[in-house]
This record gives sequence, C-alpha cells and structure tokens, in this order.
Amino acid sequence: MSEEILKALTQLFAIITKQDGGVTENERDYIIRFFQQELDKDSVKEYVDLYDQFVGYNVEDNGEVKVEKKLTSVKDSVKTLAICKKINKTLTQKQKVIVLIKILELVASDKNLAFQRMEIIDTISNVFNIGKDEFKLIEAFVLTEDFASLDFSDLLVVNSEPIIPNPQLKHIFTENLNGTILFMKVDSVDLYFVKYIGKDDLILNGFIVKYNHVYLFSNGSTIKGPKSAPLYYSDLIVNFQADFKANKLSFNAKALEYKFKNGGIGLRNVNISEGPGKLIGIMGASGAGKTTLLNVLAGIESPTDGEVLINGINIHKEKDKIQGVIGYVSQDDLLIEELTVYQNLYYNAKLCFKDLNEAELDKRVIEVLSSLGLEQRKDLKVGSVLDKTISGGQRKRLNIALELIREPAVMFVDEPTSGLSSRDSENVIDLLKELSLKGKLIFVVIHQPSSDIYKMFDKMFIMDTGGYPIFYGNPVEAVTYFKKATHQVDSERGQCGVCGNVNPEQIFNIIEAKVVDEYGQFTNKRKVNPQQWNELFTEKFKLDKTEDIKEQPPKNLKIPSKLKQILIFTTRDFLSKISNKQYLIINLLEAPLLAFLLAFVIRYKNVTEGGAYVYRFNENIPAFILIAIVVALFMGLTVSAEEIIKDRKILKREAFLNLSRTSYLCSKLSILFFLSAIQTLSFVLLGNYILEIDSMTFSYWLALFSISCFANVLGLNVSSAFNSAVTVYIIIPLLLIPQMVLSGLLFSFDKLNNMISTKGKVPIIADLMASRWAYEAIAVYHYKNNPYQASFYTLEKETAVADFKEAYWLPQVLEKITFSQNNYKSTDDSVKREVALSLDLIKNELAGEKDFMAGNKLDLDKVLSMEGFNDEVAGKLRSQLEALEKFYLEKFSKAESLKERFIALKESKFDFKLNDFKDKYFNESLSDLVRNVNAKDRIIEYENRLLKQSDPVYTDPVKPASFLDYRTHFFAPVKHMFGVLYDTFYFNIIVIWLMSLILYFALYFEVFKKIIEIFSK
Amino acid sequence: MEILNLEGAEDTPKIILDKNNGIFEISGRSLPEDSAEFYRPILEWLGKYGASPNPKTSFVFKLEYFNTASSKLILDILSKLEDIPGMSVMWYYNEDDEDMQEAGEEFSELVEIPFEFKTY
Repeated sequence: MSEEILKALTQLFAIITKQDGGVTENERDYIIRFFQQELDKDSVKEYVDLYDQFVGYNVEDNGEVKVEKKLTSVKDSVKTLAICKKINKTLTQKQKVIVLIKILELVASDKNLAFQRMEIIDTISNVFNIGKDEFKLIEAFVLTEDFASLDFSDLLVVNSEPIIPNPQLKHIFTENLNGTILFMKVDSVDLYFVKYIGKDDLILNGFIVKYNHVYLFSNGSTIKGPKSAPLYYSDLIVNFQADFKANKLSFNAKALEYKFKNGGIGLRNVNISEGPGKLIGIMGASGAGKTTLLNVLAGIESPTDGEVLINGINIHKEKDKIQGVIGYVSQDDLLIEELTVYQNLYYNAKLCFKDLNEAELDKRVIEVLSSLGLEQRKDLKVGSVLDKTISGGQRKRLNIALELIREPAVMFVDEPTSGLSSRDSENVIDLLKELSLKGKLIFVVIHQPSSDIYKMFDKMFIMDTGGYPIFYGNPVEAVTYFKKATHQVDSERGQCGVCGNVNPEQIFNIIEAKVVDEYGQFTNKRKVNPQQWNELFTEKFKLDKTEDIKEQPPKNLKIPSKLKQILIFTTRDFLSKISNKQYLIINLLEAPLLAFLLAFVIRYKNVTEGGAYVYRFNENIPAFILIAIVVALFMGLTVSAEEIIKDRKILKREAFLNLSRTSYLCSKLSILFFLSAIQTLSFVLLGNYILEIDSMTFSYWLALFSISCFANVLGLNVSSAFNSAVTVYIIIPLLLIPQMVLSGLLFSFDKLNNMISTKGKVPIIADLMASRWAYEAIAVYHYKNNPYQASFYTLEKETAVADFKEAYWLPQVLEKITFSQNNYKSTDDSVKREVALSLDLIKNELAGEKDFMAGNKLDLDKVLSMEGFNDEVAGKLRSQLEALEKFYLEKFSKAESLKERFIALKESKFDFKLNDFKDKYFNESLSDLVRNVNAKDRIIEYENRLLKQSDPVYTDPVKPASFLDYRTHFFAPVKHMFGVLYDTFYFNIIVIWLMSLILYFALYFEVFKKIIEIFSK
Repeated sequence: MEILNLEGAEDTPKIILDKNNGIFEISGRSLPEDSAEFYRPILEWLGKYGASPNPKTSFVFKLEYFNTASSKLILDILSKLEDIPGMSVMWYYNEDDEDMQEAGEEFSELVEIPFEFKTY
C-alpha cells in the first residue's frame, strides 16, 4: 500500500471515528493493529500520530466548552468524498472491498454504530461503486455476531449443528467444532472472507484466527480446527458454485509387476483402484520403488506384467487414446530458466491449446498463476537453481502449474515437497488437494510429510523395500494398523489426542524396526521383513474395486499443427536465448573477435617486396581459409552441442503431449542456422575486410554458413546421443581434429598412408569430412572467380593444358613408345610384361586424344597389344604424336596471344592496369596452392596411367567410372555426377548440405543414441 | 425548457433551475431521507440542459448545511456541470461558517469548474 493511500485511509478512519462521540480506546487500538499489519514498527508511530492529529485525540480542550455536534460537518463530508475519489483512482475493486471491510470492522470494534458513522460508511461504499445489496451483505457479515438473524445466499455457516433454521444460508456440518465459522463470498470481486465466532484455536494458513475478526480467505487457504476436519478453500467454494460436476474417471492398476533391466524386481503385485477427486500418497523407505511405481502408473515405464487402465483404456498399449489425460510432474525442475514465470506457462499453454486465441490464453495463464499465488512473480525470470530469482516453493508450484494448465484428469507428482520449507510444502500439497477436490485424481510420492500434510491425503499407499505393497488405505489408519500389527500399546490411537498430530515417522520406525542383540545394539536384521509385511497386507486388505467407466476420459488437450508447433518452439527458444545476455553477447561477438584476431595477425606480406600491405603477396591466405572453416565448425558445434541435453527434461514432460519431434528439431535448427548465418557473416565481413579479400564475401559466407550448419546438426546429434554436457565437450575435439587433418591443406592427399590414399583422387575417408568440401569450394572459387582471374581463366586453362601436353605428357608417351619398340621382341618374360604394361599405358593415354587419333584409322586396341605392335605401328604413332605436338604448340601460342591482345584491349579501352588488378584480386600463395607448383614431379605414373600433378585447378577430371562416380582430384574446377559436369563450388556446397540432411535423419531417428545404447549393453 | 422549482423545507433545499432567466440556485439545508431519490430530477434536468446550454451559466450554491449523503450528490451535480461549457459556480457561505467555506474549496478541487466564493 502506498504512503499516499495509507495517509488517505488514516484520514478516513479519523473522520469516521470522530463522529458520534469520538474515538474510543478500542477503536484506536484497532487502528494501531491495522497499522502494525501494514507497516514496520517505526512507521506505525508516525501514522498513529497522524491519526491522533486528525481525530483530535489527546488534545486538551483548552477550557473551551465544545458544543457536541449532532451532525457531520460539511467539511468532513466533502473531505470524505475527496479521499474516496483519490482511493478510487489507485485501488482495485478488490482492495476497495477490503478497505470497506476494515472500516466496518473499525466501527464494530467498539460497537458504536451510530447513525452519522453509518451514513458516512454508506456514502463511502456508494463512491466505491459497491452495490447496495452487496454492501448490506458485507455490513451484516462484519457487524453481526449471531448468524441466526442473517439470511444471505452468499453466506456459509460451518458448525457442529446438524441443521440450521435459516433457509437461504449455506451450511456445512463438521464434527467437534466449538462455535461457528462464517464464510462470505463477495460475488462482484470473487473474494471470500471468513470469520470465526467460538472458542477453539482455529488455524488459518498457519495463523491463529482471532475471535470475530474478518480474514480474507484467499485461494488455496485452509482453515483447521484442533479437532475438526480441515476446511479447504475448494471444499468451500464448491458450496458457492452451483455447477460443480465430478469427472467421470476410473483408474485401475491390476497385478503390476516390474523387473529392472538388471533382473531386480521393482514392483510386486501392485493393485490400485481409484475414482475421481482423490489425493493418493505413495510412501516408502528410499529404494522401495516409489518412483518406479509412479512411472509405471503414469505410463512412462511399461510393467513386466499386469496392466493400468484409465476408463478401461490400457495406458501402455493404447497411448494415443489417453493422450492429454495424464499429467506428470517429475522431481526435477522442468523450467526454461531463461524465460519468465509467465512465459514458461504461456508457451506451454500454447502447445496444449490450439483453439484458444491470445486473450484466452493470457487469461488462462493468469488464472493458473493467481491460483498458485504466482501472479506477483509472473514477470520474473525463473533463473537457475543456483542463481535463484524465485524461491524453491515457487519453482515447484510453477512446475505443477505447467501440468495444471491443461487440466489432466490424472496427475502424478514425484516428491513435490523435497527441499522445500514446511510452509512451502504445505502450500504445494494444499494446491494438490484443491485440485483433487475439483475432480482430479492425483498420485503423489511423498517423503517425510509433516502431520498436516499427511492428513491431507485421502489415501496412502505404503511400500517396503523390494517393491512390496504393505498398506493401502486411510493415512491415519496406517498408524493404527502398524501399531496393532506389532502389538503396541495405545494402538487404537492414530493421532495425538490433544493436538491431533499424526507422526508418519512412527510408521517407518515400526516397519523398519531392527532386532536388538544381547548387548542392546541394533543388528541389521529387521523384526518383520518386507515379505512378511506383504503377507499381512494381502491377508488383511481387500481391494475396493472401482468399476471401469466406459466413457472416454475427460481431457481438453488440443495440440496445434506441426508448423504452428515449430513457430511456438522457435519463439520460445528465441526468447529464452535473447534473455540470456551473456550467451547472446558471447555468441555474437565471438565470430568478429576471432576474425579480427586472425586476420590482424596474418595480415602479412614478405618484407623484401617493400612498401605497404598488398593482398596479392599475403602468404597466409590458404591458411586463413582453413582456419575460417575450423572456426565455423567450432562455433557451429559448440553452440549446438548442449541444446538437446539442456532440453531433455522439458522434452520428457512434453512427451505426454505427443508433440512433434520434427517440429522441435526444426525449431532448434532454424534458430541455430540463423545464429550461424549471423556469426559466419560477421566473420567473413571483418576477416575479408582486414585481409582485403575483395568481392568474395558471398561465396565465403555461403561456404562457411553451410559448414556451420553442418556443425549445428552434428552438434545436435551429439547432444541427443550423450547424456551429459561434459561428455559432449570431450567429444568435440574428436569430431574437429579429423576435419582439420583431412581438410586437404595441412596434409596433401597424395601423401597419406597408402591404405587410405588413392593417387589422383581425394581419398574416400576425406570425402567424409565436410571441411574438405568447404575448403575445396572456397579455394577453387576464390581462384577461378576472382575479378582478375575470371576474365583469363578459360584462356589460361587452355594454355596450361596445351603446355602440359606438349612439354610433359608427349615426351612421356614417346618414351614409352621407344621403350616398347626396343623391347617388344624380347623373350624375357619380365621384359615382356613391362612392354605389355607400357603398351597399355599408351593406349590409355591416347584414348584421351580420340578426336585427334580418329583420322589415323589405327585400331588402337589392336595395334597396342603384344600381338599387334611392331615397328611400323611405332613409326605411325610417332608421326601422329609429332602432329599432336604441333597442334598443342599452336593452341598454346594462340591462347597466349589472345590473352595478350585481350589485356591490351582492356588497358586501352578501360581504365585497367593489369598489375593493380592483380594486386587487388589475385593471391600468389593461393595460386601456388591450387596450381600445385611445389610438386616435385609434374607427371607421375600410376596404375598404368600418367597422372598430372600440376595445375589441378586447370585440369578437368578424368572420365567417371560410373554414373554415380563423383570422385576427382583435389581442386578440380568441375565435378561430375550423373554424366553432367558441375561447378565445383556449388557441387561442394550441395554435398555439405546433403551431409547435413543425412545427419538430420540420424538425429530424427536418434541413430547415434541407439548405437551407443547397443555398445553400452 | 421548463422551470424546475422546488420549495425548500426543514430537510430539503430550495431549488430553482430556470434556463430562460439564467437562474440556477440550490439553497438551504440538505439532509433528505433518500438523497439519491431527491436529487434525481435535478440531475436529469441538468442532463437535458447540458444538451443546449446558455453560453454562460452561473450556478449558485447557497447552502447552510448538507449531510454526507447529500455531499455525494452535490459532487454528482458538480460533475455534471463540469461537462457544460461556460459554467461557473458561485459558492455562498455564511461569514462565520468556516466549514462551509472549506467544503466549497474542497469541492472546487474535485472538479474543474471556476469557483467564486462569496459570503452572505
């Protein structure tokens, strides 16, 4: 309450008490108590002084004889109006009703209900816009002590009399209550108030109720008498609501058995039968199988034997029929820590109800939040368990709220009170109790409950070590049952006669009582072992079976379409990500920082060349490309590696909703891809800017983005396969290092272990590395398509091919011919074999020159064999090759001169300076790399072919062996597939996306997880 | 518009509302048994007047006493007057009646109408 309003109220109190004889001590005490409730100690005095001043308390009359005024002064009347107007502007209607009740209580405190006072109060209620009838109700409720004279339909009397005479009044009979508890509903604001007239010490939410004192009976309140049954908020509100209907529900678990994977038995012959509106506790020593039972009952684990039926539907076998009926609140925290309380609930609700519009959703969320007392906290971030913004009790309640909002008919709650304060525990159980009273069936695993909590359960299911059921029935009776069974004194009494407390600990003390040895020390042996308890149980208990209901169980889950789910998942994830400032900043700054660091460090030019930095002579460009790829991979992996692990618990809960996995994964991917796009773009922009790599932004970005997305999907796979974040981060190097090693730059593909390398082709193992495809894509594109090279590439390719043919290839072939001619007549077998090989090589090589050879009418297959080869053939071939040499020489000089003319033309017509252009766009080191100038041999012999080692970027790949053969040498300018040639850049990018697609399917079907499971078995 | 003319009594004020002659006055004592009922015709009349008011209206309050319930209705009347353009209030009080003066001042703060205070 604000200072201003409190001052206004003080004034209002003063004006009222001033009337009709002035303030009395009792009234003043009431005011002081009111201040004590609202204020701290220091401020109380200040306000009491203020009140005294307004009301004229303790003011000496100064001898003046005060004329006793009969009428309220006009000044006070208008003042009252002014104050009420002010209050109207600030307080809600609910608060105003409470203020009105406070005022009425004030005048009631000394029973001075004189006309002037009541007139003012009536006017106040009028200005507050409280209806006339409602005012009468409130007035009667506050001022009357004896309900006999009252007759309002919005009043409820609770007492120990079987019948009350007033026809309109609602009435609840309760045993052992002294006096009367009176409840009032103020319909317009939906508030309930309670007061008690009697001698018992009633406890309202943990506080003692004062005689004839009005209390707000808020949501989830409980009022308990020392001996009488507790009254729950929902118990009572039901009486005010005409249209309460019980859910049609039956829950039957029959002869459940459960065996663990290791052969241990978790459950033995468990039978449970319940109807709607029950709160069932499950208790047992730790390791007794409580959580196992809960999981089996909830359908998470399938029983080895037996069945669980909800309305006759087997929940393990007909999952689709009971979709949305079951709710499960696990012991873990299932909140999205980065989102606010409201958002957590809102997005959950959105996934449950496709039919509700925004306003309805909002209303529903707010309703649930306020029913759990979380409305005030709705805009707070949930925060992690360690970095708390909301309390443990609130977290628990929010966890329950997530299930609550879709109102499942059957709920399972695992240890909702563990780690909570006793007050919080009580609130949580109160809440569950209230839900059960609305017709839900709720099972709760509970550990060490307090007496109050224990008594709230309708039934208790107690288990003993090894999955033996040993009790199923009324909680308080459990105490007497076990006491009786062990022949204890006083066994008829379940609860303390004086205070009504039950001690649930007692039960376990009895169950687990140990045999004492002759020295008085406890042994490890139990007096009654679990089997014996179980035998006693089967002997004494008959299951009260609930008939299976044939109707569909009630539910109101309506899951949105897959596309909508993607949208909801994405928004939720996006909001949670942007709310984590640290995560966001690091992710967005990581890339540009790395780019700056890297590019700045390697912005180098050989000093001897003198002068400023020239891009052309930077020797680090090839390495830069590799590091950029590694950075993209690394960022992509790290950003995604924890994603699914983090969500695992949330996914477990949402499994009850049957949400689409595709939608979930797509939402993850779209966010990650978006992030990757930004990261790689910022990296490329800055890195290329510093290194002055011009006009390559898009191609670099596309390749890096693709590789980063690949890493994202890979990371998600890892994340879904392993169960802890640490394992995942250990795995990352295992995934990254091979990508670096087999990228093609660090180690030449030709110089790898012979077992894996294929001369002239990229080894298959390297083909599995996305990095190699990306590296090749960038390097080839960068070389081929930079503005300098783009104009000359075709010409230079011709030159290079012709030069190679004429200078390296022809001499080699000629040499082979000479060798064959010299030795084909030899009788030595080994020489013969060599000749055959060399003939084969010649044939292979000349096959590539088919067009040229065609004019010769030589059947190469025939003449280039041991039978067909002779001196004449050799001579013919030689002359052919001479012609071929001439042809290539011509081709070479033609291409060269064309290039020169082209440059000359360009320089004369446009403002074009070849060297400037080259400095700007051409990089020597990159050129050296893709032209493989450092190769020792330009040509080598391999498998009866001559393999060109130089100028890979100018060499079209050899003919594919088959339709699906995609393999070429590294840095090939084009790739083949299905008999068509594709540009290397786009081909490689597509390969990377295909790899990502395959990984996506692996992710969808959880292939890696399954593989790991097989191995771990 | 017809003239609203109520003769005052022991518990009710004298009221004249006359558009044509420009007389708008409430005077005397106001403690009617049911103030809402008593003031209803006045509020209705003002509602109609508000639809076609005179360019200038000077509303005179010349009260000796009013009770709390009446004060609420006086406020309601003032709120009605607030919406009428060219409105001003003449608040008369007895020279010795400080309370009535202060009540007038308090009212003047609750509504946005120019108040003129005069003694009689």
